[in-house]
Amino acid sequence: MSENLNIFVGLAMGLNLVALGSSRLTSVIRAAAVQGVLLGVLPLLMEEFHWMILVVAVLTMLVKGGLIPSLLNRAVKSANIDRDLIPLVGYVPSLLLGATGTLAAVAVAQRLPLLPAHAHTLLVPGALASVFTGLVLLIGRVKAITQVCGYLILENGIYLFGLLLLHSTPLIVEGGILLDLTVAVFIIGIIVDRIRTEFDTLDTHKLNMLRE
Amino acid sequence: MNPAPFLLIAVVALLLAFALGGQSARGWLAGLLTGGGGLATAALGVLLDGSPWDWHARFALGGETVHLRLDAVSAMFLLLIAVIGAAGGVYSLTYWGNDEHPRSAGTGRRWWSALVLCMALVVNCTNGLHFLIAWELFALAAYPLVTLDRKNREARAAGWLYLAASHAGTLVLFVFFGALAAKTGSWELGDLRSRPEVAPLFWLAMFGFGVKAGLFPLYIWLPSAHANAPSHVSAIMSGVAIKMGIYGIVRFGGWLPVNTTQALSLIGLATLGTVLGIAFAHAQNDLKRLLAYCSVENVGIILIGVGAALLGQANGHPDWGRLALAGALLHVWNHGLFKSLLFLGSGSVLHATGTREMTQLGGLWRKMPWTASLFAFGSAAISALPPLNGFVSEWLIYQGLFRLGLSHAAGTWAALVAGIGLAVAGALALACFVKLCGVVFLGAPRTPVAAHAHECGTGMRRPMLVLAGVCLAVGLLPVLVRTPLEHAVAAWCLAGDATAFALPLAPLARAHLALGAALVVGAILLFRRIRGGVVRRLTWDCGYAAPAARMQYTSGALAGWTISWFRWALWPVKKWHRLDTTLPRDAAWEERTPETVLERIVQPVARALCWLGVQTRRTQHGRLQLYILYLVLGLLALTFMALGGGMK
Repeated sequence: MSENLNIFVGLAMGLNLVALGSSRLTSVIRAAAVQGVLLGVLPLLMEEFHWMILVVAVLTMLVKGGLIPSLLNRAVKSANIDRDLIPLVGYVPSLLLGATGTLAAVAVAQRLPLLPAHAHTLLVPGALASVFTGLVLLIGRVKAITQVCGYLILENGIYLFGLLLLHSTPLIVEGGILLDLTVAVFIIGIIVDRIRTEFDTLDTHKLNMLRE
Repeated sequence: MNPAPFLLIAVVALLLAFALGGQSARGWLAGLLTGGGGLATAALGVLLDGSPWDWHARFALGGETVHLRLDAVSAMFLLLIAVIGAAGGVYSLTYWGNDEHPRSAGTGRRWWSALVLCMALVVNCTNGLHFLIAWELFALAAYPLVTLDRKNREARAAGWLYLAASHAGTLVLFVFFGALAAKTGSWELGDLRSRPEVAPLFWLAMFGFGVKAGLFPLYIWLPSAHANAPSHVSAIMSGVAIKMGIYGIVRFGGWLPVNTTQALSLIGLATLGTVLGIAFAHAQNDLKRLLAYCSVENVGIILIGVGAALLGQANGHPDWGRLALAGALLHVWNHGLFKSLLFLGSGSVLHATGTREMTQLGGLWRKMPWTASLFAFGSAAISALPPLNGFVSEWLIYQGLFRLGLSHAAGTWAALVAGIGLAVAGALALACFVKLCGVVFLGAPRTPVAAHAHECGTGMRRPMLVLAGVCLAVGLLPVLVRTPLEHAVAAWCLAGDATAFALPLAPLARAHLALGAALVVGAILLFRRIRGGVVRRLTWDCGYAAPAARMQYTSGALAGWTISWFRWALWPVKKWHRLDTTLPRDAAWEERTPETVLERIVQPVARALCWLGVQTRRTQHGRLQLYILYLVLGLLALTFMALGGGMK
């Protein structure tokens, strides 16, 4: 079972690199969505079958794999955003950075005082790597939409951490987190649209007038 | 005698003066003199009686019950406020009158009465919160007075510097009073000597009040403010306002449990300030700036006395320092009197010639005999020459220092060092005022403005005469001040046995009277001998056939040796164009002493801080990505700290 789990987490870590290396907006969104679906399956693998866990898993997959990507794609279409990304940190350096981060995550995770049950899974390294990837995307890309994707991947990392506590986290908390996430993406979609109509750009370089 | 009715009259009169000051000069003067009289009567009543006046109001201000208290220590300062406030006020009517200064004369009168009122409040407040309020009002009331001459750029700059320095001190006082209230659980002030945990707070008091008083390295605002303010304002600033800082140090030195280290630091800084203050004064070419630096010296003298009293108290023998404290308190009075006299005199010179530069003056004794005589009289008093009042207070301080120094307790060696410093400063002060009087009043006029000077009017002369008269009275009859001083020292010592303490002033009084009589007889004999047969020539004639004004010693020449002794502290700036060829064209020599502490220490540090601030502002650029990067870097640093040290 632990091996299945590791395969899924490993796939998610690979998707991190895909998101870092791709130059198209849609493929970054897709990477984040697929990652969300993959991680949604994990609770089913980790625990004894229970209807509550099923509900959580299905909800996660629906929201992360369906609702959020569709919201983002709508925003991209309606705001007429150029599909090319504008990187601050180039794709190859991003990839290298992501790879280094992933290795470092594995290294760091071995030094953490984990429960024996989690010590040999990729859960913690995967979580750290996803958080790191999300931050690299947030820092290294100019467009607001890409930053949303970075934020999603970061959230996926946090979700992985949350899986460690699956026993003690009630359903309501999981549901709340999902709702927050959806609302955040929803609002960002609206703001992106408004900013575009107002300023005619989504380049965050040009949005630093209000710094003080 | 109950001082309350007099204080009430004074407050009402001063408020009326504040209201009337803008329009009616006479109404203002009436209010000011009534107010001054009320304050002086209240203070004298407490000083002669010895029992404090204590008043708890039924109402509260800012959540604290108003509590006023006038004991002999505060009455000493209150009397000074009243005397200088009234004398300077009378002087200002002629000096800064409506005719010459139609725009600012009213403002000046208004804020003058406000300043007197606020300072009177400061010495009466016995609640930390109200003390701070009164202190801030007092600091603010002085600002419009310092910048009364608003067209003058230097006066505006001096005003800013005064405000900035004053608020730096007030900020520290906020911390001081706040911490005191937090530790004692109440804003009420009083004797806290039984609570050793509040002892460290005296450092804060020393800094906060030291800025106002002009304690050695903190005096940066003082020279420019005193030099650029109108002269009657310089008189009250130097004579009274800086004494409020001394009041704070004296007051809280008496109330807080001061330890030996703090007392020694105070003595050390005061000694340094005494010697360097007078050295800086010697190096000045600006008449009023010289007097301002001389205030730094006198504040040092006063604080040496206060420090000696604190040292005695820290050693558990408050009686050792009593003489020094009495000397210090008397010097507060004396310095207030003769420094105000000197500033009023310099105002009269400035009024007549329009310049403060000593290099432009000279030979004024013949043109302005009254001013010159009064100025010379003040100079003799401030140089502590017997039989004048400066000698009485310094003599008491010397006596106190010797008594303390001979007691062989912890740290009392400092009293001897301070005594030596005081002696050095006394000699330098005499040299400094010889230079001042010689350059300004003797010799020949150096410029046409000095040649066409005129004597000041009676409106300016009378206040100076009154101040000189008080100086002479205290000098010849020091027994007059004996009772007030004994009461003040007893009030400061609180628990000490005041009965065993009597000031040894009677022998000094006899000596002074004898010396005074001898001087008068000598003067009469000399006058008889020279009457008729005197040929008037230039003072610095040097035997030349055709002496010119340019041949006289300049103020720089008279100060040269002092500047060279104190080169390590003064850092004078020299410009020297040597004669180097066979047929030289011109030569020049210029030496200027900068505001060393301000220009060489405070300003560079401030500039570095500003630069750092501007550099820090660059990190605020509005780029979201980099803000996230800051977050990530911070998180990573925390992670490594946790992995490195915390996770054990």
